[in-house]
Amino acid sequence: MTMTKTLLACLLTAGAFAAHAETATYAIDPSHTFVTFEANHMGTSTLRGRFDKKEGSVTLDKTGKSGKAEITIDATSVDTGVAALDTHLKSKDFFNATEFGTAKFSADKFNFSGDKVSEVVGTLTLLGKTQPVTLKASNFNCYINPMLKREVCGGDFETTIARTQFGMSYGLNYGLPDNIRLLIQIEAVKQ
Amino acid sequence: MRDLARATLLALAASGGAGTARATPENFVIDPVHTHVHWEIKHFGTSTSRGRFDAVSGSLTLDREARSGSASISIATGSISTGFAPFDGVLRGRYLLATTEYPTAYFVAQRFEFQGDALASVTGVLTLRDASQSLTLRALRFACRIDTEPVAHEVCGGDFETEFARSAFGITHSLPFVSDRVRVLIQIEAARP
Repeated sequence: MTMTKTLLACLLTAGAFAAHAETATYAIDPSHTFVTFEANHMGTSTLRGRFDKKEGSVTLDKTGKSGKAEITIDATSVDTGVAALDTHLKSKDFFNATEFGTAKFSADKFNFSGDKVSEVVGTLTLLGKTQPVTLKASNFNCYINPMLKREVCGGDFETTIARTQFGMSYGLNYGLPDNIRLLIQIEAVKQ
Repeated sequence: MRDLARATLLALAASGGAGTARATPENFVIDPVHTHVHWEIKHFGTSTSRGRFDAVSGSLTLDREARSGSASISIATGSISTGFAPFDGVLRGRYLLATTEYPTAYFVAQRFEFQGDALASVTGVLTLRDASQSLTLRALRFACRIDTEPVAHEVCGGDFETEFARSAFGITHSLPFVSDRVRVLIQIEAARP
């Protein structure tokens, strides 16, 4: 009896340990995951656009404080609300979407502040060029979604990239900026 | 149209008549390519959902000498776009924007506040669904320039920001999981023919 109890306790402990070290996989929720960019227009107003199609997954080990992310963005899905502008953005002047159909963000380093993700360090591949990018996290949170009855983790992330680093230099001489701010909304559902 | 007239009257009332000196009011027409209304709202205290209205039209007057102005802007509520069609359908539904019943939102402003030569804020009345509320937009980066294409003409514009409680307009669905507070980011450029 005692031995059974001890064995059970050992199993439970081992089980608990395994659960703690477990890395969970989260699939990106496309309705709450978007990349929005902001570009100042001629020193006056801010032009915003977003990418409507994306997919990817995130693995997160909250105890081990590590994670990985792979997000693919469909460059042809750029959407500013102005069709003519979208066509221009998809052309060789900007995203060259026929030749480079996707942009990719890969991250293998998650920095934590307490139990919240504070930074995601990785690379962005755009126009076939790969450059290091660090996303700053705000509002990182996990909650149980009452509709899905599953854990959802996510938050807001932002970074600023210099588009010339990816070889995108159109319009610099007309006053279009090099620095583009990226605002990223991510929510991902535990699998 | 009746709604716009009502909104204008409300804005006039809110600005106390605003019969200030008008030296040289100039008329500007909004450039739809560089005029957008974006909104941000917090989802489950976690990520920020964003969307925009694609059909925005209107005009404004600016009197830079007297430091006054006015704006009349119409937003087609059905043009809401989040990038996720099923979500757009929910937003257009009767529990949220009720776009069939209320196809247009209006912002009518009669009070332009300046700090020195720079436009600092615009106060008016937002009419959304069946409610009208006073609203002040903070002006950022407001500037005028001369564009040369197709012919030389002046363009003025900038970014404006504000926030309001959606419940003040009767939009209470999904509270409190989706925040009451809505942040609004407005890009405006308008041309003087």
